[in-house]
Amino acid sequence: MLFDAEAGEYLVCAVLAAQVGELRGRIDTGATVELLWQTTDVLSQLSGLVAELAKRCSDSDPNLNEECNAAVAAEAEITRSLENLAFTQAQRNDFTCQTVDCVVTALERLAATDAPVGARLSPNDLAALYVSEDQRQVHDAATRQFAAAALRNGAERHKPEGSAQ
Amino acid sequence: MPAILVLDDSATMVMSLSRILKNAGYEVESASNGKEGMAKLAGGLKPSVILTDINMPQMDGIAFIKEARKAASTRFTPIIVLTTESGGQKRDEARAAGASAWLTKPTEPNELLTALKQLLPSK
Repeated sequence: MLFDAEAGEYLVCAVLAAQVGELRGRIDTGATVELLWQTTDVLSQLSGLVAELAKRCSDSDPNLNEECNAAVAAEAEITRSLENLAFTQAQRNDFTCQTVDCVVTALERLAATDAPVGARLSPNDLAALYVSEDQRQVHDAATRQFAAAALRNGAERHKPEGSAQ
Repeated sequence: MPAILVLDDSATMVMSLSRILKNAGYEVESASNGKEGMAKLAGGLKPSVILTDINMPQMDGIAFIKEARKAASTRFTPIIVLTTESGGQKRDEARAAGASAWLTKPTEPNELLTALKQLLPSK
């Protein structure tokens, strides 16, 4: 299949949108979060058993009873940390998915063949898709970098022939 | 047991929030966007607190807050916004719409539970 240069660029945007969209599906599965929950559930079950054991051996084996109680306390602390980690991970996944959604939407607009070049997606249109301050900061930093590069390239083009500066 | 209505379009976030809230002794109802949330309220759900994301399809969090404030049953229900947005214009819009508190993701479970306790009507 052959495309002219412009159609080729539209296609590249459409393909990239599909590729990134595919990636999003994998992020949103939340497998890590679910594994962390399963782990905390199993730990809690085991802790319940250890607590029961401690109760039953409290008279016959004081040392074992003490160790069981220490294990139950350690489990509670680890479970709390894992629950926090799972919650943080879920929120990070959410943020990543929203950022990916923004990229997919932008690429889909750039791939729209029914809109003229220059009217498909402006930097302001892109900024309107953002869902966090982090994205806006990255946008501003990239814009400054782009402007500086454009200025340098412009200066290069307008440099007198033979100039080393 | 106080009921919390959770609105978020991320299934993982809904599950995660539900788990934290249930472990803390709350009943949880959920919706994946503002429209679905309004339907639950119209169906008779009377949450003690509403926890909503901002960026959701069909009806976003700010539109949801505006609608919820129009309904007699949720005019004074505390609404916590939990979102990736750290503030700025969206925060002002949410406050103007009637949001009671704002938490930025990622937040800690303790921070969320503290905000809930502060906003829950005392018995």
